Amino acid sequence: MLSRTIDGPRRLVFEAFTDVRHLSQWWGPDAFTTTTRAFEFRPGGVWDFTMHGPDGSNYRNWIEWLEISSPEQIVYRHGSDALDPTAFVSTVTLVDRGARCEVILRSVFNSKAQRDEVIERYRAIEGGKQTLGRLAGYVAAMIGERR
Amino acid sequence: MLLKDRQRPVAAVAHGVGLRLPATSKHLRVLREVGLVQVRRAGKQRLYGLDARGLQAVHDWTGGFEQFWSESFDRLNRYVKELRDREARGDGTDDH
Repeated sequence: MLSRTIDGPRRLVFEAFTDVRHLSQWWGPDAFTTTTRAFEFRPGGVWDFTMHGPDGSNYRNWIEWLEISSPEQIVYRHGSDALDPTAFVSTVTLVDRGARCEVILRSVFNSKAQRDEVIERYRAIEGGKQTLGRLAGYVAAMIGERR
Repeated sequence: MLLKDRQRPVAAVAHGVGLRLPATSKHLRVLREVGLVQVRRAGKQRLYGLDARGLQAVHDWTGGFEQFWSESFDRLNRYVKELRDREARGDGTDDH
């Protein structure tokens, strides 16, 4: 679980999740950009996009919105494509704090293996920025079980 | 992970990763030098295991999931402030 207080009212924070025009302005680490193939913000709708790292690496992403309760909660499944077996469900809860808003992110993994896989993937994304990320990949390849 | 739960001799590691013994020894030596793997003598055998301290450092440095969201939240914060300021100026929330 991660949380952060954002300097803005809840309705604006919620709005920042609802449109790819907004999401593309902030989704992902510093210096990352996104290219969107499809976007539909409704339960069952999909955001199909690629993240581009500053070193030119590309990461396919597939998000299916599962539940949308405006303006307090969004539940989505996040993987690399529609059939990704390691896709995991996250819940974003927006808590009204007047002029500010607390964002709480909870991600649920079906197994430790799935969680490790996801962490490995995010570590790879960070590797797009940090040389040590490549070392982690090397270590994982060297000591990890071969699939 | 091959070495996650137990220490293994070099031959078992080589078998697990599908490399020949000399190549595996070389990799393990490099990993030991950078503090990611540790070695323990057990009789005539040398057993290799993960060095949790080194791996923790890698994890801290690379950040992964938490780092991803920390930076995304920073950007979201800046963006929402921008939306708020635009609204206050009466521009609405559309891009102009």
